[in-house]
Amino acid sequence: MLWALMSIAASQSYAQTETTETEKDQKQDNAAFVFTESQLGEDDEMTQNVIMVGSNTDVYKSNVGYLWSPVRFKFRAYNSRYNDIYMNGVQVNNAEHGQFNYSTIGGMNDAMRSIDATSPFEDNSFAMSGVGGSNNYNLRASNYAAGNKITLSGANRNYTLRGMYSFGTGVLPKGWAVFGTVGYRWANMQTAAVEGTFYNSLSYFLAVQKIFNDRHALNLSTWGNPTERAQQGASTDEAYWLANDRQYNPYWGYQDGKKRSSRVVNNYEPSALLTWDYKINDNMKLTTSAFAKYAMYSSTKLNYNGTNPAPDYWKNFPSYNYDVWGETDGTNNNIDAYWTSYNFWKGGRHNRQINFDELYFANRQLNKTGTDAVYYIQARHNDHLATNLSSTYNWNIDRSRKFTAGIQLTSHKGMHYQTMEDLMGAENFHNVNTYAIGTYPASDNRVQYDLNKPNGQVREGDRFGFDYNILVQRFNAFAQYSLDKGIAHSFLTGKIGGEQMWRDGKMRNGLCADYSYGKSGKARFLDGGFKMGSTLNLGAGNTITMGVGYETRAPQASTAFVSPEMNNNFVENLKNEKMYSAELSYAVNVSWLQLNLNGYFSHTYEGTEWQNYYDDNENSFTYVSMTGVEKNYYGAELGAKFRITSNFSVNLIGTICDAKYVSDTDVRYMLSNEGTMQATRCFNKGMREGGTPLTALSLGLNYRVGRGWYFNLAGNYYDRIYLFYTPVTRFESTQQLWARNNYNGATLDNATGEYIYNVPDQAKGKGGFMLDASIGHTFYVAHHPLNVNLMLTNITNNTKITTGGYEQSRMNYSVSDQEINTRTYNFTRNPKKYYAQGINGMLNINYRF
Amino acid sequence: MKKILMTIAFGSLVMAGCMDGDWDVPQSIQDNPPYGNNTIEKYEAAKVMTIAQLKTANKSAIEGNSVAEITDDVQLQVVVNGNDAGGNLYKQVSVQDETGGIIIGINATDQAAFLPVGQKLLINLKGLCIGGYGKQPQLGSLYNGGIGRMELETWKQHVRLVKDDVVAAKADTIDFNPSADVMTQTGRIVRISPATITGEGTQTLAPEDGSVRLTNNCANRTINGNSKVVLRTSSYSDFASLPIPTGPVDVYGVCTTFNGTWQILMRTETDLKSE
Repeated sequence: MLWALMSIAASQSYAQTETTETEKDQKQDNAAFVFTESQLGEDDEMTQNVIMVGSNTDVYKSNVGYLWSPVRFKFRAYNSRYNDIYMNGVQVNNAEHGQFNYSTIGGMNDAMRSIDATSPFEDNSFAMSGVGGSNNYNLRASNYAAGNKITLSGANRNYTLRGMYSFGTGVLPKGWAVFGTVGYRWANMQTAAVEGTFYNSLSYFLAVQKIFNDRHALNLSTWGNPTERAQQGASTDEAYWLANDRQYNPYWGYQDGKKRSSRVVNNYEPSALLTWDYKINDNMKLTTSAFAKYAMYSSTKLNYNGTNPAPDYWKNFPSYNYDVWGETDGTNNNIDAYWTSYNFWKGGRHNRQINFDELYFANRQLNKTGTDAVYYIQARHNDHLATNLSSTYNWNIDRSRKFTAGIQLTSHKGMHYQTMEDLMGAENFHNVNTYAIGTYPASDNRVQYDLNKPNGQVREGDRFGFDYNILVQRFNAFAQYSLDKGIAHSFLTGKIGGEQMWRDGKMRNGLCADYSYGKSGKARFLDGGFKMGSTLNLGAGNTITMGVGYETRAPQASTAFVSPEMNNNFVENLKNEKMYSAELSYAVNVSWLQLNLNGYFSHTYEGTEWQNYYDDNENSFTYVSMTGVEKNYYGAELGAKFRITSNFSVNLIGTICDAKYVSDTDVRYMLSNEGTMQATRCFNKGMREGGTPLTALSLGLNYRVGRGWYFNLAGNYYDRIYLFYTPVTRFESTQQLWARNNYNGATLDNATGEYIYNVPDQAKGKGGFMLDASIGHTFYVAHHPLNVNLMLTNITNNTKITTGGYEQSRMNYSVSDQEINTRTYNFTRNPKKYYAQGINGMLNINYRF
Repeated sequence: MKKILMTIAFGSLVMAGCMDGDWDVPQSIQDNPPYGNNTIEKYEAAKVMTIAQLKTANKSAIEGNSVAEITDDVQLQVVVNGNDAGGNLYKQVSVQDETGGIIIGINATDQAAFLPVGQKLLINLKGLCIGGYGKQPQLGSLYNGGIGRMELETWKQHVRLVKDDVVAAKADTIDFNPSADVMTQTGRIVRISPATITGEGTQTLAPEDGSVRLTNNCANRTINGNSKVVLRTSSYSDFASLPIPTGPVDVYGVCTTFNGTWQILMRTETDLKSE
């Protein structure tokens, strides 16, 4: 009897282990769904923004990352630079913009499974936890189980097919351990879920560890995933309506009858990590890691010096010809042109995509008169070399006290330049600033992008436009003390850091001849902070956790320069960002219920933000720096897991939160065709973080049958999805122009000279309900487990949910002599959006042996 | 088994080549320009009309600033002599044959990339309109009872780009004659030499700083002190900020007229030649 009970318990625990691992796969796969950048915005600077928060004890935090990934949910609406990522103790966030690019570890799921995930107010063994949580990946070869695993997957998502193979030796008798994985993910233009995209990614990971003795071990891990993928562009509702497809992708077209993408990302970031584990004695250990990475990232774009060739260019829409909103006096309405445009859009797919043949033809025509290319494909490169070193000391003073301290040195060299990818049949192209021609004569030095090589002929592969390096050096140290006393577990962590950054220009820009070439001055910052928290065990499975923290953060180098593509100038009033944060949580963990209830509040101020956009009234790129950015983040989170029976549980997970600017912001901007600085205010108070639902609720049912079958069904509801706001319509200078023209509700009281502004509301997306399911079974083939799992997302095919987007930075009017001339086309009514993919699925089969 | 898997893994490494690849110039554009109407054939001499004949036949419409629709199936065989390459001709192209020149209004910008100077065109006139705008002869469409620009799609239906190599010299130049007939000189590339331009040595061609009055965003600079002959430059043109050279220069440009004033439109910066 006893034997029988033991064997049942053993088999259940085995099945439990297998299922857990498959579910982890599922989480990673779902996460990969969004971590691939395929839904990035048109704005090149809009980097992916994903936080993979985790916690071993919190139902909410451990689930939301993957559960709500189909709508690109951001934990607490934080920018992902608040999410600190470590590997074997060394921090690997990009030192220039602070974010970690999850797509660089895609396709190597088995290697990246062991994560020590801590939420913002948990203590840990490697760092002061980030505002958005911290993850430490364990990439030591001895950490992986011995054996082989092969995984085959089919999906109708970014990629169609995936194959992965992993092997591990475990720790061999002589102290060696080896683990490796290789994977390939693939989709071509015929199979990819979004038309005009493809996916071509190879992944590899290899770790070798030598355990010399009980005290010393050395591990070397190296990985990379050379990836080539075509992107999807956001478009307007009018385009989606005309194409009858909310996944309409304007980034591709036909060339000689074949599909071609204009936006192709090539990314390869070979990385190596050397770790020395030194066990000083039974209570002390020292972990030292050296990390090096050479990242190569390029993103192509079809550019032009003539008519915008984008099929969804605003002048191509029917509503360019007729005011369908009834918001103008209608004098420019042209119903015939409206229908001509409508019929053209509806006339076939060719009409809705880029006509590459015509663009080639234009360039060939220009060759006849020796004129420069009007159409060309450029590649923007963001390469970087990172070398980071860390050492962390852990001391278990006694059973109730722990001390941890560490240092980190970071050196980052970001290399930013633009190359000519394809001249598209043209024979001539020169490195001159065509935006500035007109403001200055073509013979003027100021139109030169590089005065060191004026009028440089640009061939394919050559650099043009801009070429500069951003260098960041950083030192960081932290110390943490934790104590168990009575019913309380408490900790106190402090950190201090120093950072210096500078720019090294490789071109002498004609508009900034004296301050664009060579090294800028160095900006130096000292930052630091503390966190403290306490968990009180109230007994009977009830705990209360509270934490507070304050920190200052050096500005990101990516936001520290006014217009890094042009010159060496730092943003004025550059300061450390300051952040208060606090969290209060209540948890219950009893046999039938695991419940977490969290409330949090964070306040940031003196932050710096940067963006650029095209200003068609000025015919210029505009670089905008905002300083004195002040935001509040607050909300409530609920995670509950009801264990109804031993094999049936119900999850209830939800959040309602806010993330918004709480004051207006100082703005300085620079026009790329003049090189002069302007100052104004941006009335962005009340604007919210875009691209994530601020309200989300999920009800999940989990059912297991016997040893092998399991089912998950989750209904998710998303709401309060805001689009990224544009500052342009909210500039004080813009509002004053409106007021002087009595435009759009803004007025000027001539008697008092008082301006009455009308700041537009932020554009919103649409939320909605989405149903996801998963079914899986573990078979045994030749005594080895074979897992089969089918995930279905958005079963009810709700394609109306907005997953992101942004307001356009163009105006509903042109300006002539300070007078507003209203356009027929309405940009405010036409933000660019992304929508959730309709029903989609992934079938996974893996076999261990 | 392991060997097989390693082979698969290695094989996938080798196969994971570049997907975007290199793209060649499309073959199809060599013979069939993806611009214009390739079904238009070159008409026999009897159905070819010269620009002079076209203007003469519609003289009353042109001089009366009205419009006439062309109903005969006739063809112009012309060469492009001016376009919007420098941003000074706005939604206009000028063409010429041996007998004269004419402005064509097309409701589209950046057409220089398709219609370079020297490009031979066949233009089927049936269905298009001709008329006068300030007594300036222009081909286009009916707009508010007058002559306006035709839509780009209309233009593309009526024009064929002839495959012959472009020879810029075919857009020949005549010396400007202030007392010449409007019909013979408009639409041609004219040269004024020597030309002294108002604002010489102190101003740029079309600044937006208020130092010169702009009409429809254009500055009119008197040439050689004759108020009936002006150099007209858009403040949006690429050479708006070009300093006006001191002393006599050679000016080239498309000859246009507006109610009795000759307006010379430079096409690019190189149309102004100083010693």
